[in-house]
Amino acid sequence: MTDARERLAAAQAELLRALLADGPIPAGFDESRFVVERRALLSKRRGVAAMLGPEVANELGERFRPLFDAYATAHPRTAGSRAREDAANFADWARERGELPPVETPRKRWWRRSS
Amino acid sequence: MSELPRLGVGIGWRSEIDITVERLPGVDFVEVVAENIHIGHIPESVVLLRERGVPVLPHGVSLSLGGADEVDAQRVKHLAEVAEALDAPLVSDHVCFVRAGGLDSGHLMPVPRTRDALDVLVANVKAAQQDLPVPLALENVAALLEWPDGELSEGQFLAELVERTDCYLLVDVANLYANARNLGTDPERFLDEIPLERLAYVHVAGGVEHGEVYHDTHAHAVLPEVLGLLDELCSRVAPPGVLLERDDNYPSDTEIATELAAIREVVEKHR
Repeated sequence: MTDARERLAAAQAELLRALLADGPIPAGFDESRFVVERRALLSKRRGVAAMLGPEVANELGERFRPLFDAYATAHPRTAGSRAREDAANFADWARERGELPPVETPRKRWWRRSS
Repeated sequence: MSELPRLGVGIGWRSEIDITVERLPGVDFVEVVAENIHIGHIPESVVLLRERGVPVLPHGVSLSLGGADEVDAQRVKHLAEVAEALDAPLVSDHVCFVRAGGLDSGHLMPVPRTRDALDVLVANVKAAQQDLPVPLALENVAALLEWPDGELSEGQFLAELVERTDCYLLVDVANLYANARNLGTDPERFLDEIPLERLAYVHVAGGVEHGEVYHDTHAHAVLPEVLGLLDELCSRVAPPGVLLERDDNYPSDTEIATELAAIREVVEKHR
């Protein structure tokens, strides 16, 4: 059983690395179907990020898609990570690259004034 | 093993269509995505449906039972707690994996149909069943790619899973259609091979074709071909329940009601 788990673990990890992080296509998979699956996973992840961070997607406009795809392939989602973190990490990543304006320091609200 | 209830025709409850689901005629049961339910903060609309006596079935999407990792006890515990909070007669998840090698695919990935993968799946399902207060049903997924070196057909794989774990099956006819279209699997052979007496209920959903590929989006209308597969299934067995899944791009209440009525028509044709 442990052997079965280990063999399966290696095969599944290789597949996900290939699909999510542009690793080499594992032996035996149909290449065209593999590419369709890779695109479908990327498109689903991009759609979720756009839904959770519409202001970022709107601000980037046509740049959103290529930028998100570059970010996603360089940063495959790790097990246990959350979709909101993914959307927020992408915004930070785009900001660091100067694709989004820097975050403005929140204005001090009048009700928070100390004196 | 307890008998499963007759469920009727239902729809996946989603927060975006909560009021729609409440007021649609002919909703005999609903399903909620278990991961979206927080114990202690059950949505008012779900509570209302429970008060009306509508069964609410928790549907998991993250157990990754087909994954090589040991089952995540916290995720099973959450599913169990949701089942208890909703007094659900059964829970479900998928024959798939979503995590491997520290990565999360963000989608339900098919497992290799090998003896190795089946042994691991069986062990994981048994581990999950130990911590669940109600029966577990497992669903066939839509796959865009196929693992090499499969040793069993999908139907044989599921039949053996049921035999070894006593789980129930949740048959998604839209996924069956997707696999037939995209991978060339034979849906009739699938229905011949699975133990239909272990069918808990059926999923129906819409999708769309992009190029040569059919995408199981749950965001488009249900295709007549998918209802055709439901018809084929109903000619073999009266399913305890049939549920429409719609997850995005929500149409008007009237359109949803029309889809539910079309499903009911197919089911009742065979009564």
